[in-house]
Amino acid sequence: MASSAPLVDHISGLLNLEGLLGEVVAGILGSVLVAVIVLLFAAIAGPYMKRKLTAAFTDRIAVDRVGPYGILTIAVDAIRLLTKERIVPENVDRPAWDIGPMLVVISATMGFAVIPFGNGIHLADPQVGVVYLFAVSSIASLGIVSGAYASNNKYSMLGGLRGVSQNIAYEIPLVLTGASAVLFAGSLRISDIVAAQSATLFSIGPVSVPAWFGFVNPFAFALFMVANMAEIGRNPFDLPEAPNDLVAGYQTEYSSVYFVLFYLGEFLHIFLGAGIITTLFLGGPTAPVSALSFIPGIVWFIAKVWGVFFFTQWARSGVPRVRPDQLLDIGWKGMLGLAFVNLFLTAVLIGVIV
Amino acid sequence: MIGVLKSLATTMKHALDGETFTVEYPDQAPEVSPRFRGVHKWSQERCIWCRQCESVCPNDTIQIVMDEDRNGEQYNLHVGQCIYCRLCEEVCPTEAILLTENFEFTGDTKHDLAFNKEQLKNVPWYKDMDPVQARESDREAWVGEGEGEVDYQ
Amino acid sequence: MSMQDEPESETTEEGVDYDALESALGDAVVGRETHKNAEAFVVRGDRVTDALSTLKAQGFDHLASLTGQDYEDRYESIYHLRQYDDAQKEVSVIVPTPRDDPSHESATEVFSTANWHEREAYDLVGINYDDHPDLKRILLPQSWTGHPLSKDYDQDKPQIVTLEKHKNPIEEDMEIEKPGDDLDTMFLNIGPHHPATHGVLHLKTVLDGEQVADVEPDIGYLHRCQEQMCEKSTFRHQIMPYPDRWDYTPAGIINEWAYARTAEELADIEVPEYAQVIRTMAAELNRISAHLLAVATFGLDIVGDFAAVFMYAMRDRDIVMDILEDLTGQRMMYNYFRLGGVVWDLPEPRDEFFEKIRQFLEAVPEKTDEYHNVLSQNELFQMRTVNTGYLAPEVAKDYGATGPVARASGVDYDLRRDDPYGIYDELDWEVVTREGGDNYARLMVRMREVEESARIIEQCIEMLEDWPEDEREIQSNVPRSLKPDPGQEIYKAVEGAKGELGIYIRTDGTDKPARFKVRGPSFVNLSALKEMSEGELISDLVATIGSLDIVLAEVDR
Repeated sequence: MASSAPLVDHISGLLNLEGLLGEVVAGILGSVLVAVIVLLFAAIAGPYMKRKLTAAFTDRIAVDRVGPYGILTIAVDAIRLLTKERIVPENVDRPAWDIGPMLVVISATMGFAVIPFGNGIHLADPQVGVVYLFAVSSIASLGIVSGAYASNNKYSMLGGLRGVSQNIAYEIPLVLTGASAVLFAGSLRISDIVAAQSATLFSIGPVSVPAWFGFVNPFAFALFMVANMAEIGRNPFDLPEAPNDLVAGYQTEYSSVYFVLFYLGEFLHIFLGAGIITTLFLGGPTAPVSALSFIPGIVWFIAKVWGVFFFTQWARSGVPRVRPDQLLDIGWKGMLGLAFVNLFLTAVLIGVIV
Repeated sequence: MIGVLKSLATTMKHALDGETFTVEYPDQAPEVSPRFRGVHKWSQERCIWCRQCESVCPNDTIQIVMDEDRNGEQYNLHVGQCIYCRLCEEVCPTEAILLTENFEFTGDTKHDLAFNKEQLKNVPWYKDMDPVQARESDREAWVGEGEGEVDYQ
Repeated sequence: MSMQDEPESETTEEGVDYDALESALGDAVVGRETHKNAEAFVVRGDRVTDALSTLKAQGFDHLASLTGQDYEDRYESIYHLRQYDDAQKEVSVIVPTPRDDPSHESATEVFSTANWHEREAYDLVGINYDDHPDLKRILLPQSWTGHPLSKDYDQDKPQIVTLEKHKNPIEEDMEIEKPGDDLDTMFLNIGPHHPATHGVLHLKTVLDGEQVADVEPDIGYLHRCQEQMCEKSTFRHQIMPYPDRWDYTPAGIINEWAYARTAEELADIEVPEYAQVIRTMAAELNRISAHLLAVATFGLDIVGDFAAVFMYAMRDRDIVMDILEDLTGQRMMYNYFRLGGVVWDLPEPRDEFFEKIRQFLEAVPEKTDEYHNVLSQNELFQMRTVNTGYLAPEVAKDYGATGPVARASGVDYDLRRDDPYGIYDELDWEVVTREGGDNYARLMVRMREVEESARIIEQCIEMLEDWPEDEREIQSNVPRSLKPDPGQEIYKAVEGAKGELGIYIRTDGTDKPARFKVRGPSFVNLSALKEMSEGELISDLVATIGSLDIVLAEVDR
């Protein structure tokens, strides 16, 4: 892959614009396309799929009043949330309080810039794609702590503290495990990693199983899943916004638009995490067996990302959350050691298999 | 880890078997038992204005107004204030006041829920369940059947 | 029956040797009275701690309740004492004080549970307790003037809150730094508006980082002065809807049984055997639903707000409420008991009703298995609940804890077995205790109790099915208005869903009680919260409140 911005080139080729103008216009159009796809995911997942899934786990009938199968609830909820009164409490630290939610959303959407969606929708493909990905997605903790501390509320502050300590604790195992994927592919570039996973691992008759890193090293996959769930704040690690302990954690003082930003931002991060998992461990937009590769890549990508989302929702209903000190114990003592073990394991596996 | 996996498996089982325990009201109205205590219905023909219900009500929810000749003029019952204890039905000697199974009543303000005579007479049955018929087998049950004299103090 | 009668023969047969106690108490005693449940010693106001510690040394280690009341010429505090080892051994200590200076020694040194009881007596009745560590109002706001349950309270006088008191009441605790402030700790108000406090409970917490340095419950947000409402209602009919509203989880039938038991013993009313069986069955069904709610909300506190176990337990509880609706007519506020029996027989056709209950009972083992799968066998859940919220048995006894909270600390106290009523002593069931005293043990005790209740119901159904048709007497003959003899006092308790639910009644010859005091088990269990959660994290505090299973209606009444 020569181009470092495949989608941009594609669009400017379609529009027949050359040079800087072409790049800028195509860049904007490409970003809009990616952002729309991503926001669509978040909008369907937030008000609708989350409730449907929780209802399935709890033997209930959930949203099915507005529109066929309740799908128009999304529009209704959007209108409802955006028309609420925007209450600004006294003594909040104004710019920091406003920036908090925006940072959360910005970091997630920026992260999606380097994730391949399949069928050529891959906005940017820098040489150091993986590093960029991890770096950008952790800006969200800045947003959380900024919003929490600026809220002038003890509950928010506690939630923000928990959030930041959780993010820092699990960032290192996350990156280390991601680094083992890099070891496997031999390059930091995302398209190289995806390409490395389309090689055949082994064949059973006519069915050939591609060398997805999740198949090659399931231990790394499990480890990354756990670290990812801690990063995005989902059970069993959903302490920062634990409604039972701390009313709403860092989101307590936010209403209307800011709340929408936080809420969607959380789902964006879940999908970003799912996107990272898909890209690094599940082969990106490729089919699990080569016989099915007539189905376009983007369908596979959506299926995998939603599969991970489904898994996080499942964990939310069934798994209790841990206490903050237990969380930090698991992070610093357990996961860190396991991440190093995983690196050695990967090196051994690469040496033996590849 | 095994415990965590078992919890996850149990919740997944509930999701996959697709049965729901909730009903979609009002498309599917819930079943209530014949003894359910809902809004009151009053019958002018049967009432003998003995005022037992007014004196037994724990809440002073029933208000009876009579004129000088002890004819009953008003019978007011505040269904918003009532605690649905059924003591009025229990002490009424003529079954003039009954608690139907009807729970579907609304009012825009609290005062709308203070029912007067006419409103109480017009309370509909819930799903055509006449409470007297439904409770026929236990209608006489409250009167004690023991030996000895009943002491009406 | 006048106050100077001979003591009843039962008590001396069972072995409470009141004369020996009187001589042990020495010159603290100035008189002796007889109540319907036990003898009472009238003690001087400045010898209260001596008298109580003597009695405690004699084995009476459970201060069940403290009733404050006032007469025309005096105020009285009555300390109702029992033994944890043998609940039928009771003794009361009456401390009269003159009307113009109602104060006497406090009992907090001897029993820690007296702390909250005395605060309530001070708040509502107006008795002062010297040497009480912190005598301030507990149920009413701090700025209230007057004592509602005393005879000289003026209801119509408006309660004026001055501007001074109207300011932010916790302003002095906020972070306006003054020299000498302890800047390491933070004061946090948990509740009254909070998703996890099981009602309107306000906890004043002092935090050191995330650790709880001090927690002080501030209750009274749900205070409706039920005691006064019951004092204005007739014994025969009008009081019975009120007990439903104490523990509304719903365990209303057990509450009603507390009142029915007390009033029936007071007025010597016999309850027919058939009615006793139905009462037992209904009470155990209620206990199952109350414990299921406790399990559900505890799971919700620990798993977060998408907990699946919450809905599973609610679904099962709904089946029980449907059964009770068939039986009594309501799902929550039953008003099913009457003095002398119950109001309705089982619904016709009886077979269908028994079939419904049997279906439910057969599904109980499978359902408890499911709860074990989702909760107690989950390692993360165990990490959260084992060894948190520890309550030592001695501390539990000192704070007067009863019910599943005490039984999970190893205190073997269950009034259904120790002071039997209904037909509990004829059935085959077991009291569930566990050593451990942490949140996990409390949850396990409640789940085992659900199974034991299912056993009891099974046996009751078998008795009811074979009951001959013409002997089905559901209510004995009680006059339309009941006026017990004047001057009688009684304290009786039943095993409520949350613990010992006791009622004290004093009569004055009219058809309404002269004093009606309710001992709410959650009130007493909540006073032990501080012991259980100091030094632990906020998450543990929330889990502890969930496992204590308090119902604010019982706490505040």
